[in-house]
Formats: sequence, structure tokens, C-alpha cells
Amino acid sequence: MSDLSRRDFLKGLAVGGTVGYFAMAGVSSTVMKNTFIPPAKVGTEDIGECKSVSVKVISETSWFNNPLLLEDIKKAGGLLVNQYEIPWTNTGVEEGWKGDNAGGYATLIEVEQLDGSKRKFLLDTGWNVDWTDECFKREGLDKMLANGEIEFLIISHEHFDHYWGIESTLKHRPDIPIIVPKGFYPEGFELLKGAEFPKCHLSNKVPHTGPLEVRESGKVHKIMPGVASITFDVPIITRVFGEEVLVFNVKDKGIGIVTGCCHMGIISLMEHVKSTLKGGDKIYAVQGGLHISPFEDWDPQYDDLVLALHHYGIERLGCNHCTGYITAEKMVAANLPVIKGTAQFKSKRDIYLGNGDSMTF
Amino acid sequence: MNHKDYLWLETRDLQPRMKQPIQGFINFLLVTALFLIVWWICMDPRGILRWYTPQYGYMYIRWILIASIWQAYIFNFWPFSYKFMETRHPLIKGIILITVNLGIVGFMVWIFYYSIIGRLSIPYLSAPVLTELGMSSFFAREYSSLAILMMAAIASWLSPIWPVCFENHPWHGMKQPARGFTVWAWTFLLTTYIFLCLMHPHYHVLFYPWQEFAAAFPWWYKFAHTLSGNFNVGWVMCGTISIWLLELTFERYPFCLIKKQPLRGIAGFFGVLVFALVMFATFNLLQDISWGVAVEGAKRLYAPDWRYLHSGELACMILVPAMVLNFYFDNWPKKYAPSINIAIRCLIILVTTGILHYLYYKFSPPILGTQPGYSHPQQFPMAPVILWINIMLYHNWFMDLYPGKKLASREEYLLNPSIVAEKV
Ligand SMILES: [Fe+2]
Ligand SMILES: [Fe+2]
Repeated sequence: MSDLSRRDFLKGLAVGGTVGYFAMAGVSSTVMKNTFIPPAKVGTEDIGECKSVSVKVISETSWFNNPLLLEDIKKAGGLLVNQYEIPWTNTGVEEGWKGDNAGGYATLIEVEQLDGSKRKFLLDTGWNVDWTDECFKREGLDKMLANGEIEFLIISHEHFDHYWGIESTLKHRPDIPIIVPKGFYPEGFELLKGAEFPKCHLSNKVPHTGPLEVRESGKVHKIMPGVASITFDVPIITRVFGEEVLVFNVKDKGIGIVTGCCHMGIISLMEHVKSTLKGGDKIYAVQGGLHISPFEDWDPQYDDLVLALHHYGIERLGCNHCTGYITAEKMVAANLPVIKGTAQFKSKRDIYLGNGDSMTF
Repeated sequence: MNHKDYLWLETRDLQPRMKQPIQGFINFLLVTALFLIVWWICMDPRGILRWYTPQYGYMYIRWILIASIWQAYIFNFWPFSYKFMETRHPLIKGIILITVNLGIVGFMVWIFYYSIIGRLSIPYLSAPVLTELGMSSFFAREYSSLAILMMAAIASWLSPIWPVCFENHPWHGMKQPARGFTVWAWTFLLTTYIFLCLMHPHYHVLFYPWQEFAAAFPWWYKFAHTLSGNFNVGWVMCGTISIWLLELTFERYPFCLIKKQPLRGIAGFFGVLVFALVMFATFNLLQDISWGVAVEGAKRLYAPDWRYLHSGELACMILVPAMVLNFYFDNWPKKYAPSINIAIRCLIILVTTGILHYLYYKFSPPILGTQPGYSHPQQFPMAPVILWINIMLYHNWFMDLYPGKKLASREEYLLNPSIVAEKV
């Protein structure tokens, strides 16, 4: 190899630098992006219309003592450990329900059709069976389930706090039709059949006898006029996969979204709705857990979310559960239309919709 | 006189025990098996210790890498003598050097950050201090692990620049351990400054309320469209990978053509930086093409900060085939002109990176106990990839690629007067 003179070297440096600069500018330029990246789609899928939707929070308190839940997760080996392998604390918790840290998430949805008829169904079924029983009794769900008023149960995702209280639903109606998202693990299906998982203190004494539907991702599943579900392929903490959300098209108002945990992210979800559903560019209301700071933890990415949310023109924001109090405070500070609750039935604060609260859109 | 700094790694003469490519495959499979065993014991969420929580174990993995670089490249294995390096059985030597390596990691995490810097200066650098301040012990450990591992990430980009690009200039004439300590202190000082500029602002927004009097607002927000320090993680990783590609695949070409220091070092530093930024921009664009443009505030595949992070992850995957080619297959080919050799190697590396990427996302759930999918908020493919790299470094640097290769005898060694001079 020959020695380079200083002049050659400087020449090389200049050429290298210029090429590098243009290479970098080139790959990140708008021309490049416009050439290779397909433009955003406009939604065309028509799900029909409904007159109004009423959402009642049966339980949004998934657990009662947050540090204790985190301690359980830490001891088990962190956020990627299989939820069925974690010995969740179920005794001696002062703030808990009869000493158990487990609560749960469940929501009752009532849709008024354009002809005035009303139809009800349940989104999620809690975690702690005793707590969920209590909540069902409080809101009269035990009777609604028994007399068939509640048409079906849709499970947002396999997480402990949304699904493990399945016995509370089945004990009133073992043959209720159940819809789950694609991604359920074998343990989830076993539980439905009546399996027991002593390690995580989980059991279901009432095997399911009715129809079970597993909803694929990548399409809009119509449920009734103005109501549909969409499944997302998302990997989720504690080894869960897939979540489905409910979308509504309310006449003269726009799209309403009801979520369990929203692990796919509310903005990702709204972008998907915009590019899929007819009328998806007007999102009127959002209700449910938004999985932002469920453990009162934080990531600067969540600030990105709070700061970007006002671009979407949501008129009513009924968040709770895994949205987290820090997020709610930041949303209120950012003038987002967060609907206040009443802090009843063990919901700790009134900053967002709590147990027994409802919203209509 | 040309002040060449003889690194032990450059002067040792490794002889094959078997023919290629059998030797390469045996060694590579051995090292991969070892990686899988270590992952299962220490990291796997189904395994024994389950440190991949994820940040906690990831922090140790990052620190093992930088401690190895310090040992081999900065301290040139001081305080161990060349005699020790030459005469000990590779397994014995490996165990001793790995013990020292883990000792350094333990000291840095538990003493330096947890007990000194975290306690006396910046609380987020210490899990126990954050816990004492009232944070849940789980997130106290996760937050502090992220900060501590970022120190290592920045160091693994900056530290090799001195031995590789500057040949330790202007301290090349010093003897060990003075030279090691000087280069170490200098690169670690730079690391700390760069950390304060690239990562400290991340902690402005991480805590509630925002720590606006203690840390600058993330200055990259305007153009990166995220407050997350992942923007910096992405390009710093591209920088780290670029410097190692320069060392392993390019064999310091073309900068080795420049004979004068510090010109060569400066050219190398900026060359690496430009190369890294082009790599970063290319990976960002590739993701935009595959999934559509990222959306501000979105999560998962569409989160801008995750896209940057993933560019770093993609870069990291390049290093595995580059290292395998260099360590186990003698950096084939070597028979053509340097530029042709390098072009062929780059082609091999690009193709195998593509294959590795496909295999990683297809098989990591059953093999590593991770969850399927590209974007998971609590999953960092860099952790297993860097652990794999660490084991390869242990194997090469600390164990002379045993059993595939062995050190040439000491007599041959002593025939080289420059090494003898170094040893006196
Ligand atoms: Fe949830
Ligand atoms: Fe969830």
C-alpha cells in the first residue's frame, strides 16, 4: 500500500464528506420517501350506523396495590414472564378485596340501534372472581346474564385482569357466546374448559358450553349495525399476544372506540381506524384503558402520545384503568376532554371514569 | 520512527488446529451453544435467574461488552503479563480473564454507579437510591439500568476509536498501565459528556413532573419527533457497529493508508460518524418503506422512537456475521486487493444479516423465550445479540479461539524483535 500525500488525503476527505452528506440527505429526503412509500389509505369499510352507545364501567380497578403487583412481577423475573407462572399475591393485602390484590376489568356496553331497539354485551370479565361477582351484583349483571339480556362476551385480550374472572360470567350463563382475539395461548383455552392453575391462584369451576369464536387479525368483524371489532397482532407484556377493540359508528357524531387495554396504542389504533373504516376520519369518542402508565411508570414515548393526541379531535375521552393517573393528569393539563368519574366502589380518584360510572355517545 | 502500538491481539499468532471451514463451524457452533446456555441460565424469562426483566439483564450484557473492550483494547490485558497470556492454557486464562471482566462489571454497576455516582450525584444512576426515594423497586431498577447501560453503549462506540483510529495517539509511547489508564480516563470522560448531552435530557421527561431545572429539554424533539432518547440510542449503535466494521471487516482500510497521526484518527473518527449516520438514515428509510411512515405519539411499529431503536438493532445484527467471518472464517477472502476483499466480505455480511434477521424474529420466541413480533415495548433484541457477541469476544480475546485454534509456540514469538522490545 502506498503512502498518501496530505493533499490526496484532504481531497479524499472532501470527497468522502460530500458523498456522505448527500448519501445521508438523499436517503432521508422527501423525494425519496414520496417515491418509495405508498400514500396513506382512506378508509372505505362500511360498518353501518347505530343511534347511541352507552358504556358502563363495571370494574376498572385491575389491582388494588400497585407496588405489590410490581413486586410480584419483579420476583417472577420481570415483564416478559408468562402470566400463568407468576404467584400473584392474593392474601393479606390491606387495600385489596378481602385481602386479595386482584380486582379486574369489565365493561357493559349497550347499543341503541337506529330503530330504537337496545342490545347489550359484555367486554371483559375481571380477574378476582369474588370481586367480579360483587361488581356484577352491584350493577345487576348477574340477572342480565342469567336471563340472556347480555348477548355475548367479548374478551379484549388474555391478560389476567381482563380474562381470568371468566367464572363470574359463566356461573350465571355457561353457554354464553364468547369471542376472543387471535393469539390466545393454550392455557387460556384450558381455563375456559375448567382448568386450574395453582401457581397463579387461578381456576374456573364452570366449563364453557356455548359457542367460541377466535377473531383473526387484519379484518373488520361486523357485530351488528354500527358495531364491529378489530383484532391487532400485538405482543404484550407477561407473554400475552393479540388484542381486539370495539368500534362504533354513531349517527351524526362519528366513530366511537372502546378498548380493554389498548396495547396497540391509541394513536396507532386511530390511524388504523382512519385508514380502514368509512367515516374513520372523525373519531368522536374513546373509552377504556389506554395502557399508557398502568403501573404509574413512565417513558418519554408517552409524552409523545399526550402531546400528539390533540391532533385527532377527540371530543370525549373516557379513559381509565391502565391509562394511569399520571397520564390522566398530563392529559387534563393538555386540555384533552377527559371525562371525570365519581371515585366510588374502590376506584381511587375521580380524575377519570371509575367503577360504576358510565358515558354515552 | 513509526510508533506502532503492539496490541497483544495484533501480535499473537493463532494457528489452526483443523482445516477450514470445519474448524470455523465447530468453533462457531460451540460458541453459539454456550451463548444459548448462558442466556437460559441468566436471561431467559423461562430460565433460572430471569434477569431479562428486560433492562436489568440488558445492563449487565452491555457492561460485559465494554469491560471486555477495556481489558483487551485499552489496557492490553494489563496487569497480566505477556508470559501469562502466552503460556496459560486457554481455558484457565479464559476463566481468569472472565472473572476479572465480571468483577469490573460488578464494580461499575454496584459500587461506581449504585453506591457512588447514584448516591452522591444523579439518583437515576442507582436502583437503591431511586427505591429509597419512593419509586417501586421494580421500576427503580429498570430506570437506573437503562441509564447505566446507556453509559456502556456510548463507551462502546467511543472507546475503540482511540486504539483503532488513533492508535492511542498521543499516548502511544506510554507504558502500561499508564497508557491504559490515560486512554481509559479520556474515553470515559468523553463518554460521560456525551451521555449528559444524549441521554440526560431523556430523564428530563421520564420523571413526573418534568425535571426542567435539572436536565435540558430533549433537543432532538423538533426534528426527531420524539422525546425519547431512543433517537440517540439508534445512531450511537450505528456508530458502534461502524467502528467495529472498520476494525473487523475493513481491517482499518482505507484509513490505514494515512500514515500520520492524529490525522488518521480524526479522519477515522469522522469517517465512522458519517458512515454511521448514513447507515442510520438508510435503516430509518427501509422501515418507512416496509411499514409506512412513523406517526408521532404512536406505539409499537409506528412509534418514531421505536423506529430509531430498531435501526440500532438492525445495525447490531450486522455485527454478528461480521464477527463470525473475522473470528471463525479468517475474514475470508484475503487473496484479492483490499477493496475487492472488503467488497466481497460486505456482500457476505449483508446477505447473512438478512438471514439472521429473518431467523431471529422467527425462532427467538421458542429459543430465547421472547415474544413474537417486531416491536414489543419491553423487548430489546440487542440484549441477546450483544450477549452472543460477548461470548464470541470472550472466546477470541480471552481464550484464543480454543479449541479450533492455538497460539503459536513461544519460540516463534520471540523471533519478532518488536514484541520483545515491548515486553522489556
Ligand atoms: Fe389492562
Ligand atoms: Fe392488558
